[in-house]
Amino acid sequence: MNQRGSLDIRNVGKHYEVDGQRLDVLDDVDLKVEPGSFISLVGPSGCGKSTLLRLIVGLDDEYSGEILLDGRRVSGTSLDRGIVFQDHRLLPWLTLEENIGLALLNAELPEDEKRRTVAEHIALVGLKGFETAYPHQLSGGMAQRAAIARGLVGRPEILLLDEPLGALDALTRVRLQEEILRIWRAEKVTMILVTHDVDEAIYLSDRVVVMNTGPGRIVRELDVDLPQPRDRATHAFVDLKRQVLEHMGEYVHAEAA
Amino acid sequence: MSTTNILAERSPPARTEPLTSRLARLLGGANLIGAVLPLGLLVLWQTATSLRWIQPVFLPSPLATVQAFWTMLTRQNLHVDFTASILIVSQAFVYGAALAVALGIAAGLSRNVERFLGPTFDTIRHIPGIAWLPLIVLWLGIGAPAKVLVIAKSVFFPVFLNTLQGIRDVEKRYIELADVLTLTRWQLVRKVILPAAVPSIMVSLRYSAGVAWALVVVAEGLSGLEGIGYLIFRAQGLLLTDQLVVCMVIIGAVGFTIDRAMLALQRYVLRWKQGFEG
Repeated sequence: MNQRGSLDIRNVGKHYEVDGQRLDVLDDVDLKVEPGSFISLVGPSGCGKSTLLRLIVGLDDEYSGEILLDGRRVSGTSLDRGIVFQDHRLLPWLTLEENIGLALLNAELPEDEKRRTVAEHIALVGLKGFETAYPHQLSGGMAQRAAIARGLVGRPEILLLDEPLGALDALTRVRLQEEILRIWRAEKVTMILVTHDVDEAIYLSDRVVVMNTGPGRIVRELDVDLPQPRDRATHAFVDLKRQVLEHMGEYVHAEAA
Repeated sequence: MSTTNILAERSPPARTEPLTSRLARLLGGANLIGAVLPLGLLVLWQTATSLRWIQPVFLPSPLATVQAFWTMLTRQNLHVDFTASILIVSQAFVYGAALAVALGIAAGLSRNVERFLGPTFDTIRHIPGIAWLPLIVLWLGIGAPAKVLVIAKSVFFPVFLNTLQGIRDVEKRYIELADVLTLTRWQLVRKVILPAAVPSIMVSLRYSAGVAWALVVVAEGLSGLEGIGYLIFRAQGLLLTDQLVVCMVIIGAVGFTIDRAMLALQRYVLRWKQGFEG
């Protein structure tokens, strides 16, 4: 079965010119993402993980190498690739359902089908009853759920999550991690998560990709072979966390567990 | 005596409800706090005239003013002048604002349009509407069209500049979002750029509605033979101070109504926005 949603990043590099100086932000990045898998990119600030996401989603076309989705080179933005930003980025003048419907404006679906799909996705993220609420009436967690619904409503092959839980409080974050897992299983969409939070990465992903700076590059890929649901306190979990942190260069002191 | 009175009035409610809700009821309940100052001024006005602090020729009493209002309404066709002024202002506002929003959007979306219009507009803008009036009257006569044109000009610039700036202030992250959602240029304008600019446009509409109303008085005073502005200058010439005050009160009341109507419109249009409510 040829499932959609496989991503192939080949030898991707990206640099900026700053005052005539060449500044490499990504160098020789190779990454294969299997259809339906959940991958996390972790690394210190400035390692290029968010830049890589921008290249995949198509907001930036100036790079070397190739990014292939299902074998086709990505070019510009497309409804095949959804993204959830760190700020929920809902338009404050549109209601919840209008915000989510915005992603279907150019989808080739009949109007009633669009309405049905929007309603389905509002239910999927647990926001039924808030269809006509404006973003300022939603809590941070609810707004981010809405953003996830908007990212998914166009039935993308791949959903990119750019630190989507970074601005939320600890409790809401844990709750939304569960939600993301549930949604991922329900939608069977390939997900790539960029995060600072190593716990979150291990808790959610099949594979954690560790990046580092100078220039931004992938230093290690670690498979997470832990059974679901995962327990953050198990020895295996903590051990994996230690490895990830080591590769990030953040684990200099042995006692800092 | 008065002290016990105050205490007697004050103590019962203090026992039954907390101070904050009592204050809120007194001040906010029927928005009565805003009426305190006008009523105070009215009392002062009446006192000043009753006690003959001021001669009636300089300041007629409130009652004389009401009588003058009645005379003007029943015998001097005040409503004709009133309607004339209102018609000029509403036409001028609609034309000026519509053109300003249209050109403001064009200039906001295209740097070339902005560069093309900029130098001309920035020069014309600095010649006050009233300075245009003599020339325009020369062309169009002393009737309504000249005044409509001059007032429309004064409405145009605040709205034009705020529309332009409102569009330029649209956050880049929203443009990026539109890109990700594959919106077309037209969808971007309609769903993202225009709504984002609306708060700024609304502020300028409210402001310029007030400017337009103030200006009609001046324009009618300078040229023409009807309108509230004409009446006020005629009253000055004939030393009809009571009619003069009637006109002033009407101007103030209409200005107040226009402002509150624009505020209500603004609140309705921007109901998605949550601001600091004081």
